Amino acid sequence: MRLEVSIPPLLRDCALGQTRFSITAGTLDEGLQRLFETYPLLRVHLYDEAERLRKHVLIFFNGESIAWLDRLDIPVRTGDRLTILQAVSGG
Amino acid sequence: MPTRVRLLVGTTKGLFTFESDAERRDWNCSGPHLGGWEVYSVLGDHRQGGRIIAGTSHTAYGPSIRVSEDFGQSWRQIAEGPRYPAQSGFALNRVWQIVPGHPSEPDTLFAGVEEAGLFVSRDRGETWNELDALTSHPTRPDWFPGNGGLCLHTILIHPDNPQRMWVGISAVGVFRTDDGGETWRSCNEGLSRVPVGTPHPEVGYCVHKMALDPEVPDTLYMQYHQGVFQSNDAGESWSPIEDGLPGERISAELGAPFGFPIAVSRSGDLFLVPLESSEQRTMRDGRLLVYGMRRGSDRWEPVGDVVPDEPRHVSVLRDALTVDSLDPYGTYFGTTSGEVFYSLDGGVGWDRMPGQYGRILCVKAWIREGHDAA
Repeated sequence: MRLEVSIPPLLRDCALGQTRFSITAGTLDEGLQRLFETYPLLRVHLYDEAERLRKHVLIFFNGESIAWLDRLDIPVRTGDRLTILQAVSGG
Repeated sequence: MPTRVRLLVGTTKGLFTFESDAERRDWNCSGPHLGGWEVYSVLGDHRQGGRIIAGTSHTAYGPSIRVSEDFGQSWRQIAEGPRYPAQSGFALNRVWQIVPGHPSEPDTLFAGVEEAGLFVSRDRGETWNELDALTSHPTRPDWFPGNGGLCLHTILIHPDNPQRMWVGISAVGVFRTDDGGETWRSCNEGLSRVPVGTPHPEVGYCVHKMALDPEVPDTLYMQYHQGVFQSNDAGESWSPIEDGLPGERISAELGAPFGFPIAVSRSGDLFLVPLESSEQRTMRDGRLLVYGMRRGSDRWEPVGDVVPDEPRHVSVLRDALTVDSLDPYGTYFGTTSGEVFYSLDGGVGWDRMPGQYGRILCVKAWIREGHDAA
């Protein structure tokens, strides 16, 4: 299934100049793996040295942060969205 | 062959370039490049056929190194940039300094980072590895960040001996290697410790910026948190050079004068931009005064009142003052309020670049001979 991905414009040079694109995956977990295999520079900016999601980064699967999910092996359905956001951290 | 002069200005919101000919009277500004990214460090590397290498970072997305082969028109992110191994426990937050290796090592670059560490590239910046003897130093557990973070902001390479290098780390001190980074030792004798809250006597020295004398290889100059110093013995010992500067030396613990950058011309003239105090960190009485010490003199003079008719309650950061390599040399600096000034007469008379930019983090001059393709 196709997972629709959106990334912040500041990170477009990690994804060949794109901010919206799709990847094919059976599950959310597989989608994340494919995303970082395809665009490894994204991982550098989203995860720190200890492989923790950076403090001010959020990854949403449809309407939910993946940090709130109990498991990531959720089947992907057509039209599902993976959105990477900068957390609003003041300002 | 025509000479092209570029001033590379890194800000909290991207990189700007100013381009001129050898006369340096008319400048064309280009930018912002890398908009939205902090550019704490930048290098115009003439060895690489006209490559600009920028140390970019962002509060949310962390650091990276980006390169341009066409004078900033397009950029490519380095895939294997500096990165600490997970087991180190260190976080890499910013790239504070990028410098070319010794002339005998034309493919080598060094990067100083926060948290403090030193990385090297032997392939023109494509892959980077940590010189981890520095972060393995026995004093490392006692390194304590200063106000700007735990940053390695200065890298100096001995002109005749590529094995000898110095690095400066805020609130930690100066380290020197004589074996190309295999081993390091602290070089802080003569400096007074700052109150960093850790007991190790070998560290706790708040070096703000260092410069290497262009003619006497083991002579170094330093703007310190508590004064201005010179070493004539490769950093073995440091002595104050403060005659003529504003701000009395109060005591070893509460020293003055205070400031961040120090720069030296190829002819040996030194420049500083003193601030009011550590507490205030802006120009004394709002006067944007540049101080100089001419080669052969032992006294600082207020050589240039940059904006005599208007107050400037601003600062100049540690890497935002530089001198180019032409004759006569140009002197340049950028302020925390985003203005760029330059002087073509040894710092006496100053002009302002048109425009106002973000908080200026670094200013580097880049001289190229020949026709540029881009």
